[in-house]
Amino acid sequence: MKKFIEKKFFVILIVILLTAAFLRFWRTGSNPPSLTWDETAWGYNAYTLGMDGKDEFGRSWPVQYLESFGDFKPPVYAYLDIIPVKVFGLNEFSTRFPSALFGTLTVLVTFFLVKRLFNKSENATQYALLSSLVLAFSPWHIMLSRAAFEANVATFFLVSGVWAFLAGVQERGRFLIISAISFALSMYTFNTSRVFTPLIVLVLVIAFGSRLLKIKKETLIAATLGLLIFLPIFGFLLSPQASLRFREVNIFSNIDIIKTANQEILNDNGSLFSKLIHNRRVLFATEYLVHYFDNLNPLFLFTRGDGNPKFSIQSVGQMYLWESAFLVIGTLFLFRKREGNWWIIPVWLLIGIVPAATARETPHALRIETTLPTFQIVVAYGLFQVLSLLGRLKLKVMSLKINMVIFILFLGICIFNFLYFAHQYFNQYPYEFSSEWQYGYKESIVYAASVEKKYDEIYVTSNLGRPYIYYLFYNQVDPAFFRKTAKIARDPFGFVKVLSYGKYRFPENFVYAKEKNKKILYIGTPYDIPTGAKILKTFKLLDGNPVLIAYE
Amino acid sequence: MNKKILYSLFFAIILFAAVLRLWQLGHTPPSPDWDEVALGYDAFSIIHTGRDEFGKFLPVILRSFDDYKPALYAYLVIPPVLLFDLNVFAVRLPSAIFGTISVIAVFYLILELFSEYKHKEKLALVASFVLAVSPWSIQFSRVAFESNVGDSFNILCALFLVKSLKKPFLLPLSAFFAAAGPYIYQSEKVFSPLLVLILAAVYSKQLIKLPKKYLALAIVTGIIVISPIAFNILTDKSALLRVRGTSFFSYQTELLSDDIKKLDRDHATGNVFGAFFDNRRIVYFKTIAAGYLSHFDLNWLFIRGDISRHHAPGMGLIYLFELPFILIGIYKLIFEKFKLQTKFLIFLWFLTAPIPASITTGVPHAVRTLNFLPTWQIFSALGLVFAFIFIWKIKQRILTVPIRYLLVVVGVMLFSFNFTYFLNQYFVQQNYFYSQEWQYGYEQAVDYVNKVGGKYDKIVVSDTNPMDKSYMFFLFYLKFPPVEYQKVGVNSSGSFVSHHSFGNFEFRPIDWNHDSKIKNILYVGPTREIPKGAQIQKTIHNLDGSEAIRIVGT
Repeated sequence: MKKFIEKKFFVILIVILLTAAFLRFWRTGSNPPSLTWDETAWGYNAYTLGMDGKDEFGRSWPVQYLESFGDFKPPVYAYLDIIPVKVFGLNEFSTRFPSALFGTLTVLVTFFLVKRLFNKSENATQYALLSSLVLAFSPWHIMLSRAAFEANVATFFLVSGVWAFLAGVQERGRFLIISAISFALSMYTFNTSRVFTPLIVLVLVIAFGSRLLKIKKETLIAATLGLLIFLPIFGFLLSPQASLRFREVNIFSNIDIIKTANQEILNDNGSLFSKLIHNRRVLFATEYLVHYFDNLNPLFLFTRGDGNPKFSIQSVGQMYLWESAFLVIGTLFLFRKREGNWWIIPVWLLIGIVPAATARETPHALRIETTLPTFQIVVAYGLFQVLSLLGRLKLKVMSLKINMVIFILFLGICIFNFLYFAHQYFNQYPYEFSSEWQYGYKESIVYAASVEKKYDEIYVTSNLGRPYIYYLFYNQVDPAFFRKTAKIARDPFGFVKVLSYGKYRFPENFVYAKEKNKKILYIGTPYDIPTGAKILKTFKLLDGNPVLIAYE
Repeated sequence: MNKKILYSLFFAIILFAAVLRLWQLGHTPPSPDWDEVALGYDAFSIIHTGRDEFGKFLPVILRSFDDYKPALYAYLVIPPVLLFDLNVFAVRLPSAIFGTISVIAVFYLILELFSEYKHKEKLALVASFVLAVSPWSIQFSRVAFESNVGDSFNILCALFLVKSLKKPFLLPLSAFFAAAGPYIYQSEKVFSPLLVLILAAVYSKQLIKLPKKYLALAIVTGIIVISPIAFNILTDKSALLRVRGTSFFSYQTELLSDDIKKLDRDHATGNVFGAFFDNRRIVYFKTIAAGYLSHFDLNWLFIRGDISRHHAPGMGLIYLFELPFILIGIYKLIFEKFKLQTKFLIFLWFLTAPIPASITTGVPHAVRTLNFLPTWQIFSALGLVFAFIFIWKIKQRILTVPIRYLLVVVGVMLFSFNFTYFLNQYFVQQNYFYSQEWQYGYEQAVDYVNKVGGKYDKIVVSDTNPMDKSYMFFLFYLKFPPVEYQKVGVNSSGSFVSHHSFGNFEFRPIDWNHDSKIKNILYVGPTREIPKGAQIQKTIHNLDGSEAIRIVGT
């Protein structure tokens, strides 16, 4: 068996990759059922960058960030999306293309990474194939590869970075340069990587320090190149804009913790001892741990997944239920056998959660995507140990090989679990959660565009969030026209609101009385239609509930 | 280790365990919850009449609040009530005693299970110490929760079985504790049989070789002890009501609502796989799996616990300090050279413990999974012993100070910090923050009613949230004559909806607009039902200063 696998590993890997690609690309334009505003922003910015090298608001070749909605997006995803948008046109599929592509490539790089991690093990190829296989079918990775999540591309760069680093220190020094570029690019791709990458690089450099000193030339070139690429963003990282998001979501601003601490000290009559044990730093540290542990919650990992339906279909966890046993077994054997650079996996996993645990919303499948594919590698490792143990089991009951029976049963469970996920994802998910994906914008925009000429102005509700970007996207608005006619407001928190462009208005609330002598089309929610309005068309979610209504 | 030192240390641990469980027992937690007073009053009732509050003679199962409690705990409360009268201390005493017995039993259990291990005595001491100071054990040893006695039975059952392999006459004792389990707590109805299966499977080879007469005696003991409750369960459907009431079957409609939508969609789109994948049995299976896995949430175990009455504020069920040692302990128990049977017993026990709770609602649930104990503590102790041995081998010094001393001192400091924090949270902060959850205020209310109640025609006490089941608190604190109450009790029910009355007490919701006009009645109610404007004679405050109960006479 082992010989067969090693001989044919190339064929097996190709099959795994094709499967991975299929699971990531198939119908990715229509499931998830529609684009979120972030996805739409990626697509449209790629569109404008591809036209005149400027972002939607006219900044030339932005390197540090895309201003977008004032969330200062790391820009790489938009650049990667330029070619797909040129080739396939501006649509859902082209917007999601980079994520699906790099998701598939992550499955490939995982193979090389695992080979490097266990380079001295005789089973390295088998570990590597199993890891790729587990990642290819991972609900977590499939979900995040099928929408334009920049995190998913960052994961590719991180995996490549670690792989190339190991390749560099193990034999080919020049790979360090690839590693440096990958790590640097990851910081231009996803916010969480900006914390994670320095940490993992630090760990690797310390662990392989003596080896790096031996290949001084390559190390020096790689370090210089990496720093050079990093330099432009460095200044921005220190600016208030960069920490804006962090301040908004972090746990350390929670005033209740301090109140509790003070009350507890009061209950102890303010004794010095009490001030010591009820120190607010201790409480904040505990609070941090709570959020850290949240990301290891077994229900999050194995049964219901992230509470946000964009990152999990809710009926299957971030991983399959059967993987729970193998995650435990894999961890135990990883520590038991200590093969090659095994320690990188747990360290990576634990560091991967560090940035996400500072935020209030935990567990968070997207922010800890930096831990992928360590979970899958551990599961694969556990799988291998159990399977090889099973192979050695020579028990027979009435000429029936017990190990084959167990193996087939187990395979049956895995296949069932996958088919269950596939059924839920492709047949139920889009209908259940279309509202989470801002479904309805596209249909309403196509309608509005078709009747546009009949109206002086078109008023669109902001209740579903950031409507302007959808109008730009689906009407493929010429960026020059948008920049010329747009009215934009920036609030003190840095958020950007587009109030209008061309004929389109995006007010907070409709004031019907003001616009008496113009012909106006309203696109509003079903909850705030004025009496006497002439309803022209209703746009429904996939579950049949109305979401937007066009009226005069 | 010198036997003298070993046993004096062991004695010190027992003493410490007892102090932690007995000190302030009647006052922390600050008030009994309704199950505690119900058990106390049923014991009181049995003492005086031989019957429970519903007039059932020597019950095996207490109908109580229609939750059909196994009755053994109430019988255990009888001696303390005779000795100390009917009060909170007496009701909690059996739990505290069995909590201490567990600490003792674990010591001997470890000596047996690890009899070939070089450091078995150290391990036994550490394990019993960890259990002695365990927040989980202390929490439930200090309240009249039957579960704690149940877990003690588990440990005794295992201990006597392992001992009986050398001293077969102990086997019937093991059978006795296994069969007694279902009399004490609901979870034990599932866990005791599973534990017996585990023990029988793990030690089958030795058990078969034991003298037949002891085997037979053990089986007979088991059957005799178990038959009354088995008979009761088989003949009385209501005994299983509680199981149905707390399992996920009780909220099927909610559970399946999403699934039904999915099935409709499958039907509409003609999806043939739908009927298969969206089958409700899969939903059941997933619910059980999620219930099981929820007990391995690190936050629940180490930081947060579940509902307020199940942990001290700001504390989980296990010290955070123990986390690394538990991981080391699990690893070492798997991979080090210990007896295979010991490994199987501990891990099977550990993995079986959450099963009874998995089918219930409100998971993770610290009480229903109390039979986890002492497995976490054994892991923790193993980890501590291995870590200590590892550290003790370090010979390097920093500035003439051996590193090993430094590490041990740091370890002891961290533990002391964690431990004193727990003590403070438990004995000081819990009373302040959680008195409301412990249904505080009835003792003072009954005192006051006793003082002024005579002047009124009738005393009306609210029985709506948060004063549900207030009648039981009044029975308890009034020490209302059980003979009198049984006359009412026979015709009443303990369910959530029914109202009660006895003597000149009436328990029902108070409708102030209407009730304030009736003359010469004393009303005892929550702030929600008695408005601020009323002529309030007495307000009883929770320990955090918020108002708990208002008393008004008309």
